[in-house]
Amino acid sequence: MREGKEEKWSSDLIVDLYANLLMEIWGIVSALIGEAVLGFLFTLAIQKVGEKHDFLKSLKASEEGISLDEMRKDCRNIAPAEIHRGFQSLINQLTHLFSALTEGVINKELFPKVLPKVREAERMISQK
Amino acid sequence: MRLIFKDLNILRSIIHAISTSIGGEVKGIVESAGTHLPNILDFSVFGVLWKEGPILYLVQEESCPPSFTQEVVKNVISVFSVLGERRMEVGQVTLQVEKRKLKRKQMMMDPQATLKSYLALPLAIEGEIIGCIFVHSEQPNAFDAQHLQFFSVIGYQMAATLKQFQRFSSVKKEAIYDTLTGLVNRRYFEERLSIETQKAFPASSDLSVIMVDIDHFKKVNDTYGHAGGDEVLREIASLLKNSVRKQEDMVARYGGEEFVLVLPEVSLEVASTIAERIRRSVENTPIDIGETQAHLTISLGVSSFPTHRATSKEELVKMADLALYDAKRGGRNRVCIFTGS
Repeated sequence: MREGKEEKWSSDLIVDLYANLLMEIWGIVSALIGEAVLGFLFTLAIQKVGEKHDFLKSLKASEEGISLDEMRKDCRNIAPAEIHRGFQSLINQLTHLFSALTEGVINKELFPKVLPKVREAERMISQK
Repeated sequence: MRLIFKDLNILRSIIHAISTSIGGEVKGIVESAGTHLPNILDFSVFGVLWKEGPILYLVQEESCPPSFTQEVVKNVISVFSVLGERRMEVGQVTLQVEKRKLKRKQMMMDPQATLKSYLALPLAIEGEIIGCIFVHSEQPNAFDAQHLQFFSVIGYQMAATLKQFQRFSSVKKEAIYDTLTGLVNRRYFEERLSIETQKAFPASSDLSVIMVDIDHFKKVNDTYGHAGGDEVLREIASLLKNSVRKQEDMVARYGGEEFVLVLPEVSLEVASTIAERIRRSVENTPIDIGETQAHLTISLGVSSFPTHRATSKEELVKMADLALYDAKRGGRNRVCIFTGS
């Protein structure tokens, strides 16, 4: 019973961590390329990664920003490691798109802020 | 700080130029942006890949070697496919190149120059991609975050302007065309006939009008239902459209099962021959309605300026209409020329 509670708690924690990370990515990249283009790229990345990590399909992106509300509910019963892998794939897909479009320009701004947080998530998962 | 203000002023000029591009054609918008962009970015080729077509518009440095252009085209296609769009082949893309002096003063591109850096952004509006914009350079690391910011503002403005033009042309299309047959509607016919009579009447040049009516159309509706009737209207419209010159002549749906043809610089004699050809064509073409075929005929009335001495467009149409009435009264499936009665 206690283990189950811990599992849920850690799933929430991973989602929170990545939610903050995605918001941060949104903030940095939207200042460079605008919300309309970024919303389109997020949607594209979600579609692609969602094929493998089903829970990501309920993550919504538009010109208004990213909405994780629906996805949070879906994540309650998903293992933290799977959530971590899904978000990691999403971030990889996004950076792949950014790189294809602007070579290193976006990623140069993004990596110093994003990579430490991805490592932090990895550390949390490995401790479990 | 002063430099940023200068750049912002240039950016404002570019946005203004894009949003007020004359004609609303993609090409015009690309040229407007291409004219002002060198004030803000140092590049060799600026391009817009327009999804419809697809067409790749390039504004490039006049000394740009052809090998560099080829590299640019390949890069554009490769980047576009990353955006979830279908993979295109180089041969599928129509290329429109405009050469300009983009480099400062005497600077020329090396004939051996290769593509070293680029920026690309999708033209995305309301979650839909309508194209992609690019800048390319033969210099390594030619673009930084600030360039990208400026470029994204330009891209956004281009996408918004193009979307607006797309909407406008779709509204315009709805106002001109009859949705069932795809022919121009009666309102447009009236406008166009005014223009043609204004040209023909003072110069005494030929202008002919043919009125067309499907014989026993009520029976078609009664036998095959309204869907069958619609199919007949579409087929006859298509036959009429294919029987005249694409550029000069006009075929309009006049209303119900009536059509009208306007033939500028066509004499009465030639118009009568065309009318007879159309009549035979309809008579000899079985029309598929579901799993059955219907054999239909049409009646036609012809009037022509200056032969019939019409003094207004209304009179010219009235004359063709009277001739059509004669054709109906004479037993249908025939061509009648206005006789003056």
